[in-house]
Amino acid sequence: MLLKFSLYACALLVLVSALSVPVFLLHASMPFWQAAGISSIWGREWYPYEHLYGLLPAITGTLWSIFIALLIAIPCGICAAITASELLPRHLAEKARIGMEVLAGIPSIVYGLIGLWVLLPFLQAVFDMLTGHSLLAAGLMLSLMILPTIMLMSMDALQQVTREQREAGQSLGLDWSTQLTRVLMPQAWPGMRSGILLALGRALGETMAVMLVVGSLDRLPQPFYNILQPAQTLTSRIGREIGEAAFGSIHFSALMAAGLMLAMMGLTISLLGKR
Amino acid sequence: MPNERYFSVVFTIFFLAWTQAYAGESLHAAGSTTVMPIVSDAATAYHKAHPDITITVSGGGSGVGIASMIQATAQIGMASRNTTPEEQAKLDGKVDNIVIARDAVAVVVSKAVYLGGVTHLSLAQIADIYRGKTNNWKQLGGPNSKILAIDKEASRGTRHVFAEAVLGNAHARAPGASLIAGSNNEEQAIVARSNQAIGMLSNAWLNDRVRGIAVDVDGRGIRPTIAHIRDGSYPISRGLHVLLPKNASPAARDFVDFLLSAKGQAIVKKIGYLPVR
Repeated sequence: MLLKFSLYACALLVLVSALSVPVFLLHASMPFWQAAGISSIWGREWYPYEHLYGLLPAITGTLWSIFIALLIAIPCGICAAITASELLPRHLAEKARIGMEVLAGIPSIVYGLIGLWVLLPFLQAVFDMLTGHSLLAAGLMLSLMILPTIMLMSMDALQQVTREQREAGQSLGLDWSTQLTRVLMPQAWPGMRSGILLALGRALGETMAVMLVVGSLDRLPQPFYNILQPAQTLTSRIGREIGEAAFGSIHFSALMAAGLMLAMMGLTISLLGKR
Repeated sequence: MPNERYFSVVFTIFFLAWTQAYAGESLHAAGSTTVMPIVSDAATAYHKAHPDITITVSGGGSGVGIASMIQATAQIGMASRNTTPEEQAKLDGKVDNIVIARDAVAVVVSKAVYLGGVTHLSLAQIADIYRGKTNNWKQLGGPNSKILAIDKEASRGTRHVFAEAVLGNAHARAPGASLIAGSNNEEQAIVARSNQAIGMLSNAWLNDRVRGIAVDVDGRGIRPTIAHIRDGSYPISRGLHVLLPKNASPAARDFVDFLLSAKGQAIVKKIGYLPVR
């Protein structure tokens, strides 16, 4: 009785906190939506002192950076997981796992500084850019940061495919590649998908590392696929400006609106991913 | 065994309670990263003389320092610019604004640009760079490379002072900027690493790879030096402020007095700003 009660109580607590965050964001951003209107979502200019709060450049920047990050991290993470858990001997696989766990535990500011000192000069030299600050840099940083999550969750998912399933496949005389694509992957996919969605959440919310390498400049990529120019993301916008925005001002409320957009993007993508 | 564990827990609790009880007063100063070196050095010196008072210092920019006064989230605010009329309206009568040093906002360029021949520019030439009308150093007598113009976050004091002197308005748009930096540290690092950058930095942050250029006034290049801040000839200078609430604790008040004392002003001078006393 007591056990069930405490279980329900904990679940209720989780539910309340899950609901209160979006409600808070909605409430805190209300003054902004009333003053500037929904059209600021596709506004292109962000000059708080002129009361221009266009969110489009930051939204575009966020979408581009997570797209680049996932484009790199999903194939790399899943392939590395298959290699580690199916092909490598057990002791090597464990070492790979420990390495990934260490990577996952590194604070994001450290990644940011690595990006600043190593990645930016590299991009600058390779693409002949002014500084290397760009959407590409942000996407590459994020891919490095989410790779451990995707790889670890995929390894777990593969290792949870039961021995019966594997033996059934072998007894049918399937060769290894068929075994992989027809037995292992379909069985492990739900676990991998959770890993990808978790990683996506981290990529969407990552502030510090992105802020240091993205350039924080409110411009839409010109043309839209130009990922080599400095840009802005929603998180870097909030990170750079939240300190100065007076609590209760329209500017503060606009930053809360940026947070709300971020939360809604996360929700939309994970709903699409669940299909 | 369990006894030992209980003992260590009880000991830890007592230890924490004890350190809390004897920790004395702790003050927090926040804001401008230009003022920060003075206040953090002074905080160290002050803590040596008054071990019961600890002062933590954090950055964020002048806007953050002023906001921290409005929202009462710090005991001491730091700002490298004057308050705007809106901010003043919220602070009026509640906070004292004290100038502890004077400083020049240097127009800085990368070493390669300086050695390439750009050692002085007029305010109009600098404005053209930030407005996007000039985009190669060659047009200004320098090396043939694109200009990397670094702007700062809108809330930063250095940005206010620079934009007001160069572009005519503290919040003026800078369409020629290719990057936005935050703290002095971040800006200094970007300029030092580049071969083609121009930016704005407090006078105390110059070094071999981050060179301050002279600003032409009436055909004469004025370098951002202490002497030129003192005689007022350098066109982009400003006071460095600390903000102290009128209801501040005696310790906070005493610390600000320390900043204005001979010892405090010696720290100002050592860091490279102009003392006010």
